[in-house]
Amino acid sequence: MAAPSYGLIATFETAPEIYHAAQVVRDAGYRNWDVISPCPLHGLDKAMGLRRSIVPRISLAGGITGFCTGMSLIWWTGAYDYKLTVGGKPLFSPMFAFPVSYELTILFTAFATIIGMFVVNGLPRHYHPVLKYSQIKRGMDDAFFIVIEARDPRFNLANTTALLEKAGGKEIKELEA
Amino acid sequence: MSTAATTAPATPTASLAGRALAVGFAGLALTALGALISPDRHGIAMSYLVGVTYWTAIAIGMLLMILIHHITDSSWSVVLRRQWEHGLAAFKWLALLFLPLLVLAWLKPGYVWPWMDLKHELHGHGTVGTDILYQKKAVLLNLPVFTGATIVFFLSWIGLSAWLRKASFTQDSDGDVKWTYSSRKAAALGLPVAALTLTFAAIFWVKSLEYHWFSTMYGVWFFANCVRGALCSGVLIMVWLYHRGDYRGIVNSNHFHSIGQLMLAFTVFWAYVTFSQYFLIWNANVPEETFWYNLRELNHDGTTNQWWYVGLVILFGHFVVPFLLLLSYRFKVTPHIIRRIACWVLTIILIDLCYNILPALKDGHGDSRPFLSVNLLWVLTSVIGVGGVCVWAYLRSFPTTKLIPTRDPRIGECLSHHD
Repeated sequence: MAAPSYGLIATFETAPEIYHAAQVVRDAGYRNWDVISPCPLHGLDKAMGLRRSIVPRISLAGGITGFCTGMSLIWWTGAYDYKLTVGGKPLFSPMFAFPVSYELTILFTAFATIIGMFVVNGLPRHYHPVLKYSQIKRGMDDAFFIVIEARDPRFNLANTTALLEKAGGKEIKELEA
Repeated sequence: MSTAATTAPATPTASLAGRALAVGFAGLALTALGALISPDRHGIAMSYLVGVTYWTAIAIGMLLMILIHHITDSSWSVVLRRQWEHGLAAFKWLALLFLPLLVLAWLKPGYVWPWMDLKHELHGHGTVGTDILYQKKAVLLNLPVFTGATIVFFLSWIGLSAWLRKASFTQDSDGDVKWTYSSRKAAALGLPVAALTLTFAAIFWVKSLEYHWFSTMYGVWFFANCVRGALCSGVLIMVWLYHRGDYRGIVNSNHFHSIGQLMLAFTVFWAYVTFSQYFLIWNANVPEETFWYNLRELNHDGTTNQWWYVGLVILFGHFVVPFLLLLSYRFKVTPHIIRRIACWVLTIILIDLCYNILPALKDGHGDSRPFLSVNLLWVLTSVIGVGGVCVWAYLRSFPTTKLIPTRDPRIGECLSHHD
């Protein structure tokens, strides 16, 4: 093998097979690996040992930023930079700053959620090594794959191949990086 | 999923129901005793209004949740819907418990709702009968309309409940899908009816205590509390049945997550509505509207009264704290945590109703009588009294049918609910 390999790919024919194989790979302690499936599989997250996404935290940070932006925007414009009395109201009150802060909370939360989701997913991505695999289109149709990356600290060509075989994987191939 | 749990009828709850009824009678008896011996019967009548409105709000919320369930053809809430259907059994008893207030309105007009007595002295400006604001609103605010409307409210709620309960319970035995369609029709018809009746109930029973006031948000505020009450009771029932074993293998963390998300949504909705009402009145600054909040913030000499602090407790306790807690996924799916949040919100709904009802009690200066008073005791006895009867009605209905609607077309989806 001249070129460094990206990792190993193994084919599985049914959902129960991929589900159990995912548990085997999870229990072997791998971190940099993934399952390719043509459809969402309930319970696969758990079988893969995935934790809940960190996107909600990014959303919360976005929301807090939006709220603070709204409050300071109204305070800055109306009570500091250009003092202006409107309708006999105080120069600043959280009362009338609230609708703006509320809207910005929602806006910034939405931005943070969408952007956070894309960043965490690693999207957009125009190329991925699995795309070179000749059978990969079956992953959108009738087959399931497990990909274990070579950068995983536990990766070892012989041992990982044996693990995938033990897990029931067929046609275990090396992926070109 | 254990088959025994899903096919067997729900286990009897007779002894529990008996205890609930005993507690209810004790509460009602104490309230009645208070009304006999206390010099301040006015305060007791208002406290009793808080108690009846509180439980009626929760029952209306349960009715709304079932109607929304059917109109949206939901699947996640099928098992919980059955428990809310049992909750609807309380409506006829609530009607009975409202009766004393109605009788009082005829025997002593103006005792609870001041506008019923045209000779009632207004603080500083004549009587109700000579008040232009009353005269303009007299078409709606008179005793026969009030009585008729209250009867229509309860008849609509009892009628819709009977329809939904019959459709759901009968489907258990014959499995006919026509009952699902029938419930959907009940939902299409019932949602506008429920929306109008609960809005007018809030206006007649609570808002008209200060009949000078204007607020187009009032019905929506009441709606938000109704639904929050039903969601929190739903959580308490879920956790109770889960710990008792009935719901093992039936509800999973996704059901808790779903109801928790609705709790969060309605927390925000309540805040939106309540803030909008305050903000519009604060911004317009018109005396006919601001007086309602002034009564809840200041005495006539400008000093802060206790209701100002109660308002802050509601702002933080009814919105900020539940909002922040319910953001967490873990809190929503951990039964003992979500149960605590539900108990807290149910308590605050009661305080919110106190805030809306009790300041109508005035002292000699026209100031609201303080929050911390013996009336809290009567609020407590009324809430326990009416609540005991409602819980008894729920528990009495509980064993009459299956634990979950086993032959609902969506039951499979519900049992494997995954979000």
